[in-house]
Amino acid sequence: VRCQLCPPQRALQASAVLRRVSDEHKKEPAASSSQHQFDSHPTDHQPEQEPQGPRPSYTGQGGQESEDYESEEQLQHRILTAALEFVPEHGWSAEAIAEGAKTLGLSAAAAGMFHNDGSELVLHFVSQCNTKLSELLEQEQKLVQLGKTEKKTTDQFLRDALEARLRMLIPYIEKWPQAVSILLLPHNIPSSLSLLTSMIDDIWHYAGDQSTDFNWYTRRAVLTGIYNTTVLVMMQDSSPDFEDTWRFLENRVADAVNMDSTAKQVKSTGEALVQGLMGAVVTVSTAARALRAE
Amino acid sequence: ARGLAANKETHFGFQTVSEEEKGEKVYQVFENVAKKYDIMNDSMSLGIHRVWKDVLLYKMNPSPGILLLDVAGGTGDIAFRFIDYVRSVRERQLRRKLKHHQNLSWQEIADSYQAEAVKPLGDSQVVVCDINKEMLKVGRQKAQHLGYSEGLSWVVGNAEELPFGDEKFDVYTIAFGIRNVTHIDLALQEAYRVLKPGGRFLCLEFSQVNNPLLARLYDLYSFQIIPVLGEIIAGDWKSYQYLVESIRRFPPQEEFKAMIEDAGFLKVDYLNLTSGIVAIHSGFKL
Repeated sequence: VRCQLCPPQRALQASAVLRRVSDEHKKEPAASSSQHQFDSHPTDHQPEQEPQGPRPSYTGQGGQESEDYESEEQLQHRILTAALEFVPEHGWSAEAIAEGAKTLGLSAAAAGMFHNDGSELVLHFVSQCNTKLSELLEQEQKLVQLGKTEKKTTDQFLRDALEARLRMLIPYIEKWPQAVSILLLPHNIPSSLSLLTSMIDDIWHYAGDQSTDFNWYTRRAVLTGIYNTTVLVMMQDSSPDFEDTWRFLENRVADAVNMDSTAKQVKSTGEALVQGLMGAVVTVSTAARALRAE
Repeated sequence: ARGLAANKETHFGFQTVSEEEKGEKVYQVFENVAKKYDIMNDSMSLGIHRVWKDVLLYKMNPSPGILLLDVAGGTGDIAFRFIDYVRSVRERQLRRKLKHHQNLSWQEIADSYQAEAVKPLGDSQVVVCDINKEMLKVGRQKAQHLGYSEGLSWVVGNAEELPFGDEKFDVYTIAFGIRNVTHIDLALQEAYRVLKPGGRFLCLEFSQVNNPLLARLYDLYSFQIIPVLGEIIAGDWKSYQYLVESIRRFPPQEEFKAMIEDAGFLKVDYLNLTSGIVAIHSGFKL
């Protein structure tokens, strides 16, 4: 709730840092609508013309500059994106964010906008990866529809989708245990869980899953379990180009897909849930270990 | 209008005085209390003011290289804490760097120790600015006594008209000072001016208690006990009467937040400490 009687000089005071949206438009890709934002108010990209900062627009006073500037949230996203390159050196922390802010020409104090524990940086990265994955899958689907490539089998599709998604972690793999432990912090769990489920949803959607019965839960639980366990394997994998990880992934997906009848599916839902739970337990204990080691 | 009328009035505690008078009267108050300032803080707040200041530094989370301007910083409490914080962050950084390089030659190890000795603060600096020379004098003596020398400067200046160029500092703090400024909006504008883009404004100040029961007790304590303490310990009833009254005159959290936004700061927020006895307001120059 902003104050109602804002003095005119505020609208005329040009922001020191927020860029004009016209510069932004050329660079930022629009997020796909299936992507859940992890902040409670999704930043809509359409009304970029409306200010989302505290400045109301004064159409009658020529103060239209406030309408054209990016919002604070967009600036924050820019800072976080810039901060990613410093993660291998500083980890997922406020220091990395401070370095990122500096590359944008801001004071390192701007990192104070975020939590001290680097949560937002990790969540931002995961959200970015999920967006990239959705785009990849969307493009692939278009190619299939245009008949330029063949439709893959389900297990091949799942393997490729997960591999593509996991490969995005490679530049940060050394610091990924720290990221996992941050994602499991109680105050981050709602956001990280929502990002995870929306990613799995996406993959199944593009895999052509149209189930409306119990299979829906089965498939999601199974794939979540596969994803989590593969991440854990990847973090400890030292083979060239992570080939051990991809082989592990291949085997898990094959297991999952080769369940024949629905009856078996129902039984294996229990197994899948156990698998997912085991994955979660292993994740938590690894993360706890990682936390202690940090 | 900056006091164009010679008799523009403002408040000095619960009294009404002209704007010119207020500046002088405030100066006298702090001139009188300077020597006993720290002792009085401890006895009035039962030592809790140390926690408040620690929380301020925790929120700031400065990294080595940050330039801090501490306005109305008088006796240096914030400045010393800043130096300690940055020093420990720097040590941690160097230690982490050493841990990463498993096979260091002796030369490299020696070099890194030298780097730490040469730049223990990593280029961080704090400028303590205060309008009152007595307070600064006490601060400098304290610094000498406690062994703080590096990265510290003491400057006389008025918060409404700072003697610094534009966009010089990363963080601007004002702890328990802004309620004494005659024109708070000018001080906020000056803060905006001297901060670099992305810079942060932090204000630690007494504010409104949100709990009605505690408010009663707090009022009782403020008006009955604090001036008495002032008389006993510092020999100055009136100054502490002013202090308690000036707290009541200061705008509450939301109103002050709006004032900060008016100066142009974004992402303005506040944190209540001790149920609102004290609040930390934070804003960014974006």
